[in-house]
Amino acid sequence: MSGTDIHQLAAAYALDAVDYHERAEFEAHYPTCAICKAEVAGFRETLSQVAAATAVPPPSSLKARVMAEIGETRQLSPLLPASVIDLATHRQGRQRMVRMLTAAAVLVVIGIGAFVVGRQSGDDNGYAEAADAILGQPDTRISPLEATGAAEGRFQVAWSPSANKIVVMGDDLPDPGPGKAYELWLVDDAGSHAVRLLDKADGRKVRRVLSVEGSPSQWAITVEPEEGVEKATTDIIFAAPA
Amino acid sequence: MRRNALRRRAADDRDADQKDPLGTLLSRAGRGDQSAFEELYDALAPLLHGVVLKVVRDPAQSEEVMQEAFIELWRLAPRYDDSRGSVRAWAATLAHRRAIDRVRSEQSGRDRTEREAQKRPIQTNDVAEQVVANIDGTRVRKALERLTEMQRQAVELAYFGGHSYREVALLLDVAEGTIKTRIRDGLIRLRDELGVAT
Repeated sequence: MSGTDIHQLAAAYALDAVDYHERAEFEAHYPTCAICKAEVAGFRETLSQVAAATAVPPPSSLKARVMAEIGETRQLSPLLPASVIDLATHRQGRQRMVRMLTAAAVLVVIGIGAFVVGRQSGDDNGYAEAADAILGQPDTRISPLEATGAAEGRFQVAWSPSANKIVVMGDDLPDPGPGKAYELWLVDDAGSHAVRLLDKADGRKVRRVLSVEGSPSQWAITVEPEEGVEKATTDIIFAAPA
Repeated sequence: MRRNALRRRAADDRDADQKDPLGTLLSRAGRGDQSAFEELYDALAPLLHGVVLKVVRDPAQSEEVMQEAFIELWRLAPRYDDSRGSVRAWAATLAHRRAIDRVRSEQSGRDRTEREAQKRPIQTNDVAEQVVANIDGTRVRKALERLTEMQRQAVELAYFGGHSYREVALLLDVAEGTIKTRIRDGLIRLRDELGVAT
């Protein structure tokens, strides 16, 4: 998608009338584009007024269920300004990582929390543009994933918490095998959900941009059947704290 | 009266209150205050339910989506950024997206067997006829009437029908670029008619 086209998406995006791929692409673009940002905000206000005209009270029983559930639901932490994030802490020592890896392995193996939140579609022609936008965010941190065994190749994940986006880059990767794909798992603080990404690593590479929600504490890669699984079925081959 | 009550309670947070009374409730909710969240629920539930019901249609599923949406609002409350829009717009966006994701994930299962995009009946969701007879309703109805028929149809199929612009193009048998333009021109006119500041 060309640079001029993407601006045209503001209205369709505000209406949620774009596919997941375009949504990801536009979300990588618009926070850094003053025009699109203002348009999206204006369209959303407009739509909330349209919505207000169709208001219908929900059944009264809903409120009690919502209030009961929030009592048991942890809130996310506020986002820290970029200056507070100290890259050094994130690169600190293998020890912490090994500890977290062990935790991740346990989580995944016993199958806690593999819950599919989002998935991106195939080829990504807008990858370069979308990736640049994320890599340019002041809060983006890049985690090289460590191979846990003798896995060939390498993965890196660049995460911008403010944009809620990651760029996944894999290189020199072997073919995962017929009917198989690389699957990325994001384990969050509650361990209660993970997001997956499937990629066949065509040309030995993975180049993807995708949305993440919440605050993942680590990334992990396994090889899984290409149609995807909700619980990891094989050992983690790469991992790193987020 | 409600505003005044909010204002008194929010004496310690006057700036936020002046911008958006719901903003005060949300920032309290973001610090874990469940009673503030309860007030926020009361203020937002009919708005969100109206949207979700329009998109999802099925009342039981709409309730599930509503519950998910409110839990998400609770989780995200500490991250609300008022520079990106009002609480109402933020909440309506979040609930609408939940509803869309629900109907699309349901549909993707069906699509594989049915290839039904072309066959799906057109449901126009004629908001102009359905809006409730309140002040908001009258204003919005008048604004919608200022759109061309084609703009209004495209905007409604997308927003309430839950169709992507590509699906709208298929449904109406019109080029994708044309639909993008109709949607955009329609929203711009609606925004200007409703006097939303940009």
